[in-house]
Amino acid sequence: MTDPADARGPGAVLRPAPGTATATAPHPGPGDLTLTSIVLFTLGAYGVAAGAATGQEAVVAVGVFAFTLFLVGLVWPIMTIARIDVAVVAPTDSRVGEKVDLRVTVTGRAARIDLRVLDPAGDWWRTASPAEGVVPHVAMRRGVFHYVRVQLRSSAPLGVFVRTRTIRVRLPAPITVAPRPAAAAPVLESVPDDHRALGAPLLVRGGTDAVRAVRPYVSGDPARLVHWPTSARRGELVVREYEPPPALGVALLVDLRGPRPEAIASRAAGIGVATLKAGGIVWCGTCDDAGPAGEIVSDERELGRQLARAIAGPMPEPPPGWFVEVVHL
Amino acid sequence: MSADTRRPLRPTRQVATQFHVVAIPAAIALAAVGAIAAEHVHLPWIVGAAGGAIAALLTVLALPSLPTRRATIVLLGIGGLGALRHASFAGNDRSWLLVVWAAATLVTLVLVDRADAETSPALAGGAPLPSRTYETLRVSAIVALVVAVAAVALVPTVTARLGRHVWPGLVPNIGNIMNAPTSLRASNHLDLTTRPELTDAVVFTVDASHADFWRGETYDVYNGSSWTRSAGSDEPTVLDRDGNTVTVLPAPNDVGAANGTDFRQTFHIETAYSGVVFAAPSPHTVETDKTIEELPDGTVRAATNDQFGDGIGFGKGAVYTVVSRSMQPTEASLRAADAQPVPAAIRQQYADPAGASPQVQQLAKAITAGRPTTFDKIKAIEAWMGEHTQYSLNAPTSSSTDVVTDFLFHTKLGWCEQIASSLVLLARSAGIPARLVTGFAPGSADALTGRFVVREKDAHAWAEVFFPGIGWQGFDPTASVPLAGDAHSNGSWLETARHHAVAFAVVIALLALLIGATPELRAAARRRRARRASWSASTLHRLERIGRKAGRARAPAETPREYARALAERLRDDRLVTVGEALDRDAYSSGGAPHDDRAAAEAVLTSL
Repeated sequence: MTDPADARGPGAVLRPAPGTATATAPHPGPGDLTLTSIVLFTLGAYGVAAGAATGQEAVVAVGVFAFTLFLVGLVWPIMTIARIDVAVVAPTDSRVGEKVDLRVTVTGRAARIDLRVLDPAGDWWRTASPAEGVVPHVAMRRGVFHYVRVQLRSSAPLGVFVRTRTIRVRLPAPITVAPRPAAAAPVLESVPDDHRALGAPLLVRGGTDAVRAVRPYVSGDPARLVHWPTSARRGELVVREYEPPPALGVALLVDLRGPRPEAIASRAAGIGVATLKAGGIVWCGTCDDAGPAGEIVSDERELGRQLARAIAGPMPEPPPGWFVEVVHL
Repeated sequence: MSADTRRPLRPTRQVATQFHVVAIPAAIALAAVGAIAAEHVHLPWIVGAAGGAIAALLTVLALPSLPTRRATIVLLGIGGLGALRHASFAGNDRSWLLVVWAAATLVTLVLVDRADAETSPALAGGAPLPSRTYETLRVSAIVALVVAVAAVALVPTVTARLGRHVWPGLVPNIGNIMNAPTSLRASNHLDLTTRPELTDAVVFTVDASHADFWRGETYDVYNGSSWTRSAGSDEPTVLDRDGNTVTVLPAPNDVGAANGTDFRQTFHIETAYSGVVFAAPSPHTVETDKTIEELPDGTVRAATNDQFGDGIGFGKGAVYTVVSRSMQPTEASLRAADAQPVPAAIRQQYADPAGASPQVQQLAKAITAGRPTTFDKIKAIEAWMGEHTQYSLNAPTSSSTDVVTDFLFHTKLGWCEQIASSLVLLARSAGIPARLVTGFAPGSADALTGRFVVREKDAHAWAEVFFPGIGWQGFDPTASVPLAGDAHSNGSWLETARHHAVAFAVVIALLALLIGATPELRAAARRRRARRASWSASTLHRLERIGRKAGRARAPAETPREYARALAERLRDDRLVTVGEALDRDAYSSGGAPHDDRAAAEAVLTSL
């Protein structure tokens, strides 16, 4: 099995996570001879040998017929598969265990081929070529994937030889597979005020009663904010401005250096998603290919992308004043 | 057994509907092989054909314990071995059945692979597969072209380089010799009172550029009920050989045998024993590993003793090649031959009418009166026999002392030996040198190989007439004699029924099968009609067909809605859910499904 780290470089392909059961293993060789091939080869050899020994044209003809079927059945699928090319477009974001619709474009002429996506090996789908269709696939592990492996198969037209060929298809845009969020409670702790200006969502729930100032009414202000005594005094509508609510959130330090990095990523995703849904701010610190990295994530997709890129390595320093949740085993 | 180890129940395996169409070409392929095999074992061809077809149908359609594809391929393999077996050893003229077998096998292979591919789900939005017919025709055309090129290129090379013109074959044992038909055993005696048994068994096949009568032995002495050879004519001479080539000495005064045109033939012995070197007249050289001896009358045969240790005749599989020489005279040249005198030795041995009865001699004079040449006299005799006698294998065997007189003047029914003997005696009575010849008619040309296939029933007797300056020329009076009405039967319907008993039994069995299956066929037709009559039934049928193709058949207790949901999940196409809902609505609501729902459901099914 490939080392998990291999799955995340620019050349990485979708591969099953360790311990993940696959439907069938990808075929290691160029194809398989079938029972038909054995039958035809036997008939051909016997026919030519027996016919040559006795000089009987009818027997040689039967043998030649069987041999010809064998050879045609051998060469035809090889030629068919050789001229097929495949392009795949995948969505940019997904999660482990979620179905991904891969749009597959098959070029080259063929009356009948089967194709499937590997890593893990999915179901076979039949089509003629050229064709364009959708292959549903399930991403089985976290990572950023630039390639997809597609396996082609054909035994047409005689079923003598099942030619298989695996093509490593570069995606026009990589697919980022985020970890599946584990069930977790949000972590809502105080966050320094200066982080409000970073565009992070503010906690809208609750708030304070302290009025900071008043300002002229502008269209759209709710009527309940109008401060009637001051409006009467000034002769124009003014509204109250309250003190903003305190920022809440968490700084996640996702340390994948433990024995179960996928479980850690999944737990981090769970905490982050729950916190974001609760309106909190999430700072996520990980280590990726460029080294330690940490930033405030604005939504679940950004969180997922950062966790998808995460590898085992040194942790960044958390921002000062944040409540730090170190996720590790 | 604990719950953990209990195996889940599996539905009974059924043959996927995609494979049903495979049964037809598979049945044709096996029927062709069965027909060839049946002929080889002397059964009616219909028995073999029916047996092969039924076996194929049962294997493909009704053998759920084996994967259909594997069962079909095994079946084709068995059929192929049968085809090879019978093409190799039967040597019959049914080779066109091999072409049928080959074509049906090819179509079966295409369809079985196609059916196997159709068990995979279709790529959503992908291109549909071409129709079965188109794919089969396209592949068949290409493969036929390749096979034709390969066959043309390889078969002559293989057979020319490795094929045998001389081959020892099996050594016949005493049982083979004793059980061989009389037509294949060298003998100095030919009994005219024994009715020949003419079966369809193949005796030998001949590679030759054209058909001819394959001459075996000649006889010159008639004693009223049989033919023998005159004293001195039955003493063989063992011929010298140069390697495998044996040179035959031309008979004295036979100009054609010495100076005629060469005609090469290769004989492949298919029967267990043959003691005679059959060949077109007259053999000049024989290529064989056997010791060959020659009688003074030109009869060539395998040595009758084993002093050379190479066997005492030709066994099954033996091959020998003969180059014959003969003149190719025209009617004019035959008429002109009378200008030369007949050699005295020939006249003395072959023109003596002593064996002919006075009645025969008088008849000969009456027939040939006014005929100026030997050729005209022979043609007159043939014409008279054609008008006054009939051919019949069921002619009564003669109890009189003179078979020919009995045939010509009483029964007027006879077979080739009696007819040819009559010509010989009538010719001799007219002063024409003639002799009786036995051998085989040319046989039937095999459509595939061009080889002449000669059977026991082709055993024949004809006459040879001597023409000065030309030599011996064959005349077949049997060809001029019409068939009697009972040539193939003794008139007994019981005998006919017994002869065709097996064929009758097969036909009756098939009829019984058809009658027995009629209720089921009618019920199936009713079900089909009902499906057509009801929208929900026909649409459900379409849905089930799509499900079966996707490998998910409907369970008996599954409602259309449940089934459609299951298929929607399997095929990842949520539109199928609406199809199930439309089906339920149509089946169970009083007004049926709205027209729009029906149209939408049909559109979904059509898109799949």
